[in-house]
Amino acid sequence: MLGEILNTYYLQIGSFILINIMLAISVYVPLSSGQLSLGSAGFMGVGAYTSALLTIHFDLPIVIGIIAGALAASALGVIVGIPSLRLSGVYLAIATLGLGEVIRVIFVNWDSLTRGSVGLTGIPQLGREILEFARGVGFEPAMIGIKNNQFVFLSIFLVLLVLVIVILWFVVRQQNSRVGRALSSINLDEKAAESMGINITYYKVISFTQGAFFAGLAGALFAHVIGYISPADFSYHRAVEVLIFTVFGGSEVIIGSVFGAFFLTLMPEVLRFVSEFRYIIYGILLVVLMAVRPQGILDANLLKKIKFKRSKGGIR
Amino acid sequence: MLLEQIINGITLGSIYAIIALGFTLVFGVLGIINMAHGEIFMVGAFVGVTATGILGWPLWLAFIAAIVVTSILGYLLERFTLRPLRGKKGVSHLAPLISTIGVSILLENLSHHIFGAGNKPFNTSFSQISITIGSITIYLVQIVIFIISILLMIGLTIWLSKTKAGKALRATADNLETASILGVDTKKIIILTVVVASAIGGIAGILVGMAFNSVSPQMGLSMGLKGLAIIILGGMGNVKGAMVGGLILGLSETMLVAYGDSGYRDAIAFIMIIVILLLRPQGIFGSKVSQERR
Repeated sequence: MLGEILNTYYLQIGSFILINIMLAISVYVPLSSGQLSLGSAGFMGVGAYTSALLTIHFDLPIVIGIIAGALAASALGVIVGIPSLRLSGVYLAIATLGLGEVIRVIFVNWDSLTRGSVGLTGIPQLGREILEFARGVGFEPAMIGIKNNQFVFLSIFLVLLVLVIVILWFVVRQQNSRVGRALSSINLDEKAAESMGINITYYKVISFTQGAFFAGLAGALFAHVIGYISPADFSYHRAVEVLIFTVFGGSEVIIGSVFGAFFLTLMPEVLRFVSEFRYIIYGILLVVLMAVRPQGILDANLLKKIKFKRSKGGIR
Repeated sequence: MLLEQIINGITLGSIYAIIALGFTLVFGVLGIINMAHGEIFMVGAFVGVTATGILGWPLWLAFIAAIVVTSILGYLLERFTLRPLRGKKGVSHLAPLISTIGVSILLENLSHHIFGAGNKPFNTSFSQISITIGSITIYLVQIVIFIISILLMIGLTIWLSKTKAGKALRATADNLETASILGVDTKKIIILTVVVASAIGGIAGILVGMAFNSVSPQMGLSMGLKGLAIIILGGMGNVKGAMVGGLILGLSETMLVAYGDSGYRDAIAFIMIIVILLLRPQGIFGSKVSQERR
């Protein structure tokens, strides 16, 4: 019965949505301290290539590859973040934009390692490994009435879902902690925050590095879900796309990033004709949003209204 | 050989300097990084290709067409993306940056749809004329590019320091409110700034088309990034810095192509950004004050 419900196509779109949510969070976290990062595609690429190369050449388990990819991205985040974060957010935007392009240039030119613009193929796939592992402990997908490939897509989806929930939990917890309050005070007024004794460079680097970590993690997962990566996957367009997820959905609340990634990943799938003009629509969307609703679709006020209505309904 | 490379470097550097001028002008007056500038420049290049190649117009007419089209784009950019954000309460300083990114991907993908993805050749008989002195070959285009960039620099400096509009512009750059109290029509000045910056971008577009003989929708991004690197190197909002920074970047890229790995020439701009941010964040010609003022 489960076998009839599970559609691998839907599961795959679901997985893409989850990866995009991670990416959107990687922009949201630095943005919540007033830092605009345009390097998410670059960090994603570093995570993806690190993990893919480690697992292909050294036969490391995927888990270790993914962790290494995310750490490599965050190390790069620290290196780029410290010089640019001492200055205003504009410098960071330029430096990260440059970083993204340089990383892509390196991927294209470092032929011996990255196979240039052709890209890497034969990356171990997360779903297959899980299937083998499950078989190793004596579990067959047929036991719960689904086919092997359904199991593969389902397991990827579930792993990503758990990871996204953990990340969301972490970010929400952090927002209500001392670090989170420091970050939002920097976002509201840097000078005032500094005069209150907050080490703004330290906290900015923290939030920026977390963004790099999430982007690297998403990139590494992307590599092992798709099984094939090329420099074109990590271009400036990807960075802008991720930025739009967050800015469209709502850059002031975490649920905005989730909504933005969900809606804008699903839209081109549902409306096929849209996908050809996707970037043109994105461009217009950014301009209109900034002029009309710079905080994005969802903000704290709207959420409050929705909650208020719900609780009224609950009393009845 | 070396001399020829230096000439190539100066040509490239002059083009970069002109692109950087557009960024620096807008940043100096509005304090905004105009991310769409690279794409306006790209549109200028495509207008040049269409005018000379498809319509068969003479080169001077192509220049005028490019200037007109990019000026109109500059006006639209100011009217629809920058003006709605100005003076609005609670708008973060990142809003204009994000909004101009929107314009940049809109323009890039529009020209992608109209002109296709590949490189378009820029055919003018003009770009084939060359002078040979001893073993060195200099193309006439290179001399023209250098002269145009010098003229633009001098013209812009005189305009900014001597004319009434230029003084009003500097007053607006210094303090928008005070300037408007003293009777400067700041709204007009801001429009003028963006339009002039865009027109300069359009000129740069045609020059690049002539120098490299090819034009593509993607060139806006890489050229825009170089322009940004130059204004960080030379000092944000500094005209002299844009020229010197452009020449430094142009020469170092040409040297890398000649004596190193040409694949990594696009990386120089980025390395420059990081090194400058670490050592002298205000840029070579920037003052400490302008760095602290956001």
